[in-house]
Amino acid sequence: MESTAIATPTRHKETRLSDWLHERRTVLVGYSGGADSTYLTVIAREILGRDAVLAVLGRSASVPAEQARRAEAMAADHDIDLRVVDSGELADPRYAANPVNRCYFCKSVLWEVLTPIAREHGFQTVIDGTNADDVSEYRPGALAAREHGIESPLAVVGLTKAEIRLLSRERGLATWSQPSAPCLASRIPYGLSVTTERLSQIERAEQSLRDLGIAGDLRVRHHGDLARIELDPGVIDEWLEPRNSRRMVEAVRAAGFQRVTLDLRGFRSGSLNVLEGVVAA
Amino acid sequence: MSEALQSRLGEAGISCRVEQRDRLAIVISEAPISRDDRLLMIQMARGEGFTHVAIELDPDGAPLPGD
Repeated sequence: MESTAIATPTRHKETRLSDWLHERRTVLVGYSGGADSTYLTVIAREILGRDAVLAVLGRSASVPAEQARRAEAMAADHDIDLRVVDSGELADPRYAANPVNRCYFCKSVLWEVLTPIAREHGFQTVIDGTNADDVSEYRPGALAAREHGIESPLAVVGLTKAEIRLLSRERGLATWSQPSAPCLASRIPYGLSVTTERLSQIERAEQSLRDLGIAGDLRVRHHGDLARIELDPGVIDEWLEPRNSRRMVEAVRAAGFQRVTLDLRGFRSGSLNVLEGVVAA
Repeated sequence: MSEALQSRLGEAGISCRVEQRDRLAIVISEAPISRDDRLLMIQMARGEGFTHVAIELDPDGAPLPGD
């Protein structure tokens, strides 16, 4: 919590972020309740005031209910004007077909919902929580943001994920240590269609595993009949013990998977991109 | 790929079957695996061109070894 933990260059970036927001005067934030968009929304609320900031949370089957509940609670705790909308990406067959650029279609639908809300309520600028690290990753959703004129101030001022976590901790935001939580569709290999049923299976399996006491990074990758669990590498051997394995199998089978596997390397961000050869191993 | 990996694991004393799904190796073993086994599996799978290796838990719904 000590302010001395924040390096001067990071402070400067936060100052530039404040200036950037001042210049915009009013912003609509594409808000997910994750570390990045929460930090951005809270800063915007502080700098511009409640009436000048509208946070919009897109809801669909690809967002875990628990995650949405936490996002709503966080907004309420910080007196943020929040609107929850049905993002509706599952109704788009281009998204549901789950191509490699699935995120492009998801974000296109989202911004097509959010930009009219911004116009209707007089918000000058629509922003998102893309950070400086994201810019160098494979993110087809970023193209949709550019096409819709969405701005990414965290990336503009060069704030990285690590810096956002430090600044969030300093502000007492619970999201500072929250693991990244990409949408549930990210657990389905490209080409296997995204359906409400599959998303529900993943959500139930991951929640059941959390209920067993698994903390930290956790993903249940959906390979049709087979679930592949990814855990923090440091806890894999503990969960490979027969008694724990049994508990995981029961939890994941109850979510509708026939076969349950545990990835021996553990959690890797973008794991399915590696598997499909979208990015290098 | 899967046969080669299965053969190499067998030579290393890890009796198992290996199933392939794209570049994912699924190891099916009736015996519990140690940390050393796990690290060896990762290394050998990578050497055979797999990007991912996972072990099936409770194959065929049978009681797990050690239960």
